[in-house]
Amino acid sequence: MNAETLAPLRLALVGNPNCGKTALFNQLTGSRQKVANYAGVTVERKEGRLRGPSGRSYAVLDLPGAYSLNAASLDEAVARDVIRGCYPGEAAPDALVCVMDATNLRLHLRFALELRELGKPMIVAVNMMDAARRRGIGIDLVELERLLGVPVVETVAVRRHGARALVERIERMAEALHAPTQRLGKGADLHAETRRLLAATVRMPARTARIDDALDRWLLHPLFGLLALAMVMFLIFQAVYAWATPLMDLIDAGTAWLGETVGAVLPEGPLSSLLVDGIIAGVGGVIVFLPQILILFAFILALEESGYLPRAAFLLDRMMASAGLSGRSFIPLLSSFACAIPGIMATRSIQDPRDRLATILVAPLMTCSARLPVYALLIGAFIPQKTVWGVFNRQGLVLFGLYAAGVASALLVSWVMKQWRRDKGEHALLLELPSYRVPHARDLLIGLWERAMIFLKRVGGIILALTVLLWVLLYFPNGGADVTQSLAGRIGQALSVVFAPVGFNWQICIALIPGLAAREVAVSSLATVYALSTADDTAAAQALAPLINDGWSLATALSLLVWYIYAPMCISTLATIKRETNSWKQMAGATGYLFALAYAAAFATYQVAVLLGAG
Amino acid sequence: MSASLLLQYVVIALAVIVSAWVVAKKQFPGGVRRLRMALAIPMLREGRPAWLRTLGRKIASQVRSGAGGCGGCRKCD
Ligand SMILES: Nc1nc2c(ncn2[C@@H]2O[C@H](COP(=O)(O)OP(=O)(O)OP(=O)(O)O)[C@@H](O)[C@H]2O)c(=O)[nH]1
Ligand SMILES: [Mg+2]
Repeated sequence: MNAETLAPLRLALVGNPNCGKTALFNQLTGSRQKVANYAGVTVERKEGRLRGPSGRSYAVLDLPGAYSLNAASLDEAVARDVIRGCYPGEAAPDALVCVMDATNLRLHLRFALELRELGKPMIVAVNMMDAARRRGIGIDLVELERLLGVPVVETVAVRRHGARALVERIERMAEALHAPTQRLGKGADLHAETRRLLAATVRMPARTARIDDALDRWLLHPLFGLLALAMVMFLIFQAVYAWATPLMDLIDAGTAWLGETVGAVLPEGPLSSLLVDGIIAGVGGVIVFLPQILILFAFILALEESGYLPRAAFLLDRMMASAGLSGRSFIPLLSSFACAIPGIMATRSIQDPRDRLATILVAPLMTCSARLPVYALLIGAFIPQKTVWGVFNRQGLVLFGLYAAGVASALLVSWVMKQWRRDKGEHALLLELPSYRVPHARDLLIGLWERAMIFLKRVGGIILALTVLLWVLLYFPNGGADVTQSLAGRIGQALSVVFAPVGFNWQICIALIPGLAAREVAVSSLATVYALSTADDTAAAQALAPLINDGWSLATALSLLVWYIYAPMCISTLATIKRETNSWKQMAGATGYLFALAYAAAFATYQVAVLLGAG
Repeated sequence: MSASLLLQYVVIALAVIVSAWVVAKKQFPGGVRRLRMALAIPMLREGRPAWLRTLGRKIASQVRSGAGGCGGCRKCD
């Protein structure tokens, strides 16, 4: 039989968290799964294809990291079940690729021994050999292979061709699969065996991670550490404003020019209105925020790769514990700054179901990137660009404040939930602190490119589609003459009865409905509503910010900002809560409490602002 | 109604249909999947013309591949 017609061999990548399984998986299969420098990045099984030089193909499985086969959390359980072949709808893997971090063999060898006891064909990949060499750690791979009784190869998952040796060994093994030749003797102790192997094969330098220790002395310091954390966060929001403005002006000018050109070429009529007032104004109104989103993500990606994030979790653990969250919740909550959906999925690494539920319920309060356009639009329209105290950009300060308000509310909500439940026990935080790592510029750029593509696909997909639909509702039945009499205009006016106490006018009410599908759509919808409402063409080509600055009071703007901190304006997030908690009740509870909170907070904001004379 | 205006309305109608489909697929993947199945199954019955069955198979096969219900923010593969 020819090699290409054989059924693909199923390989599973297993190992402790953060040893580079996903990096290796990406390298082997050409995928782009998320890689970051902390434990618990992968929470689901992922499958990819590898084609060896011989033409034989392999199904490669990437699994969540696990410390042992006695699973403590949901993601560890996934790994255990897949390896054992009891994962629903999934055949057991034919062979295991056990990935180890060469700089941390003490921990990782123990798991390798545990895996070997399963008696499955297995290859050991000693990953991060570059980092080990840099630190002067010497590993005798030949001796390790002899003692373990399974093939051992070195890999560097983040370097091109860094997995070539592994592929060769896989190909050789595929010819004749056989179980490990060594096993633990009866009554042998896993720890003693690990120590014996280490002594025989690994040469450690006197001090291994001097730089890490020096950095940690400052960054984990209870006072300086917190100061450093605050500084980092602060700088990010300053940069979002300081660096993005020139690019945003450029995009704004481009949209305005496009709108004018198309308006001049096409004859007056519905199609011209759809293109100019609908699509160009609406979609252009959202695309302007791409530079800000990318700058924010550049920082998030760099932080993820640096190894700083688990340390921040460590610093904030006390604070989070007194609010009823564990330090384990930190990473899921942090992922929610990109989008609540991966954040909610990442809660699978939280062992305690009660902590997990609490984290899921507050994750939507973290400011996801879809909220950034809404915030940025309102800040740009109502907060003058000014320097405060010599250095700080005031718009950046307000944005920082909004993010901080989201975090503070999450802590407050979880504190309230903690008061409700009877069992108030707290869990000690056990978190692995990875080594610091300087992010590769190439990986950062690829990550940013992907982010940009995700955003642009959203703009060209759901946002564009909703803009077209909204335009129809705004244009008919009266041909765009008087927007207040259009279908959407009437709906908006009906809704504004409900929202009058929080200061929303009918234009905002219109934008809230399509905004449920994706938060940014609120911005494109406002742009379309205003483009259609302004009669003369020069105004239609104008950017949205000055229009709403004219039309709204400051109190309304503040109220809308506050509304967006809380409101669960994202159906996909609610669907994810339903899926992850497997309960309609929890989803309904989350929706209800978030809307109630949003309405109450916006109401308070609006009324206070009006009292203070901002109405 | 002039020919130009008619053409404009045709283009707009097409855009609206496509948009409605995109939104439905994003927000209600389960419903769209069921709708597709409901459309495809009668087409695949014995005795239908070959072209209709090919079309039905095409609709049904897309059901399997495009069933991602994981929301808007993250591409999921
Ligand atoms: N220097 C170096 N860094 C590596 C190597 N392989 C992976 N990394 C880094 O190690 C970190 C963890 O990589 P991941 O692939 O996310 O690890 P994982 O095992 O999938 O982690 P979990 O999904 O959390 O279990 C990332 O910061 C990678 O860039 C390597 O060979 N050398
Ligand atoms: Mg991983």
